[in-house]
Amino acid sequence: MNVGYLCTYTPKELIDAAGFTPIRIFAGDAQISLATAHIQSYACSQARGSFERALRGELDVQAVVFTRCCDTLMRLADIWERNTEMKVYNLEFPTRVEEKSKEFYFNELKDFVKVLEEWGGEVTLESLKESFSLYYELEEKLKKLFSIKPDYDTAKKVQEMNVRDAIKLVDERLREAEGEDKKPRVLITGSVCPFVEVYKLFEDAGFALKDDICTGTRFFTFNTPPRDIGSVDEGLRFLVEKYFDKAPCPTKHFPKDDRFNYVLELAKDCDGVVFLLLKFCEPHFYDYPQLKERLEEMGKKVLLLELEFPIASYEQLRTRIEAFYEVIA
Amino acid sequence: MTLKKLRASDKMKQIMAGYYMMGNQAEVNGWVTSGAPVELLYAMDIYPVYPENHGALIGAAKQGPYFSDFAEKRGFSRDLCSYARCDIGCVYAGTSPIGGLPKPTFLFACNNICNTVVKWYQVLSRIFKVPLFVLDTPFVRKELKESYVKYVHDQLYEFVDFLEKVTGRELSDSKLRETILNSIKGVNAYSEVLRMARHKPSPLTCFDAFINMAPIVCLRGTEYPIQFYAEMKEELEERVRKGEGAVDNEEIRLLWDNIPVWYRLKWFAEFFAERNACLVADTYTNAWTGFVSMDKSDIFWSMAETYTFIYLNIGLEHMAEAINRLIDFYDVDGVVIHSNRSCKPYSFGQYELQKMINAPSVVIEADMVDSRAFSEAQVETRLEAFLEMLR
Repeated sequence: MNVGYLCTYTPKELIDAAGFTPIRIFAGDAQISLATAHIQSYACSQARGSFERALRGELDVQAVVFTRCCDTLMRLADIWERNTEMKVYNLEFPTRVEEKSKEFYFNELKDFVKVLEEWGGEVTLESLKESFSLYYELEEKLKKLFSIKPDYDTAKKVQEMNVRDAIKLVDERLREAEGEDKKPRVLITGSVCPFVEVYKLFEDAGFALKDDICTGTRFFTFNTPPRDIGSVDEGLRFLVEKYFDKAPCPTKHFPKDDRFNYVLELAKDCDGVVFLLLKFCEPHFYDYPQLKERLEEMGKKVLLLELEFPIASYEQLRTRIEAFYEVIA
Repeated sequence: MTLKKLRASDKMKQIMAGYYMMGNQAEVNGWVTSGAPVELLYAMDIYPVYPENHGALIGAAKQGPYFSDFAEKRGFSRDLCSYARCDIGCVYAGTSPIGGLPKPTFLFACNNICNTVVKWYQVLSRIFKVPLFVLDTPFVRKELKESYVKYVHDQLYEFVDFLEKVTGRELSDSKLRETILNSIKGVNAYSEVLRMARHKPSPLTCFDAFINMAPIVCLRGTEYPIQFYAEMKEELEERVRKGEGAVDNEEIRLLWDNIPVWYRLKWFAEFFAERNACLVADTYTNAWTGFVSMDKSDIFWSMAETYTFIYLNIGLEHMAEAINRLIDFYDVDGVVIHSNRSCKPYSFGQYELQKMINAPSVVIEADMVDSRAFSEAQVETRLEAFLEMLR
């Protein structure tokens, strides 16, 4: 069984360990039409576009796991359940990411294991160990690949396949990967962008890339190497650590403003920063003005590109990216 | 067309003027979200400031676009919640229709109404450089799990520590119980006012409820709402005795869903009154009637339960159930659904709810504060057709 998910705070390892394949759901190329009868146009096009694909029968997934990351995803779970044949489960990842929320998330993971078992899966100590080590391998290899040269095509593909195949794909790409000569480097920060053509526009304009995108680097930026575990519960405790310490997302609350600090740190060795934001994405748009101000104080040039899926005009984007390149180079 | 005015509305203005004056004199204040457990603040003599109520006030004063512009110029997108945009705009403008809100000592955001407030308050905490406490209430899509209540319960204790540290004061258990008792009494008095709409014809409209809801939101836990709503109820009973409806020749009874369109309250009230239709109740004000039960000896546990299982923090099945209870209780003929660009948790799912509730409904597109998102002709056509169908 394939289990779909939309948010990087979904513990893929558990789904894999249960014997299912976690598949990330992205918006598609087709115009959004069926979904408009179920959700308003001021929902972001990632939510509408993903749901559109479900309604069109394009998704080979039999269940979907939601997290309450934003108000849109929170409501989408019910809408999805009522209009598809898929099983729907809502895993509550806390909004407050700090020490005191860990026990709560641990309980949520325990409940999730039960749900996976109701779905016919089985999580054992052995399967958990295997999934942990596979995902760690995938994440480290993706980090390596991106350190040579970011590869968004691969990043997208691995999110839509079994982790074992994903590792093979990244291995192949690693064999071919070549570094680049020195170019002006831009940090692309934002929510999801599964349309790899967009990154190509930046490369075409002459930029070297670095990103803080939910479907890019944030997918594999974890900082907790696997450790020996003696029980499933210990494994769940490990997952709590791993996901609490992942690349921070603006949908969360970190007491020490981890999110801002993370982006500012990433921007240090870049010449410019591009906010690649999805229209109606509240968490990112609330951060934008103050984050931009901080970046400009660091002397970075900043550009805001607002997207809607499917992307209507690449040419318009190209013009703006080329103009930004002129400013920096 | 002149609308019937309640004497209570004048009294309410006095009370709220007093509330705002208190704010300017308060030594310690916290900016809080509308669904936050304010009882803890009043029990410690901390003045609660309500940016959302302030946003509604800006909307009613038809100043939404004006103050939003101050935030938009700073880079805040026009697609963000208009309460947030206007309030942030007022901070940058240094004023508002009431001269601006007092500077916060601390910020308190509870995400039981939306996750938007978490982001909004993060912005405020960077502007004012004051501590922010986020009370994280898990979303209850299906069942209210004990682990959810436990999580919120523990945070409430943590919040008390936070308050004691920020203010240097100590929370007294007896003062808290007294405040909660006041809160329950106030909520009951308010519920009784709303329930008066059960009479036919109804002595009040949801517009009366909207206009007079500020005390239950802002002063919950004090004596004011208890007395105010008792008086308001007497006035409504007087109307009932005389057989006087809020709307002449009440023919159609309706339920309103979502936050009001603040800058068009009068327009909507007249529109329906002219057509002998009465919006007798709404899901918004009724969201404040479920507050605080004390059926457990552990008041922190019951607070955690109450504040987690709140109308906007529950799944669609629960919401439909609540709406159907209102449809039944108030015996309404139809539901007017406001699809509110500013409020995603309230608005997404409305198309599904239409299929889940036991009355015909119509959806109108608008925004609670930003009048630029309102098309009079479109709304009028929709509502006309709906009323025609109900007749």
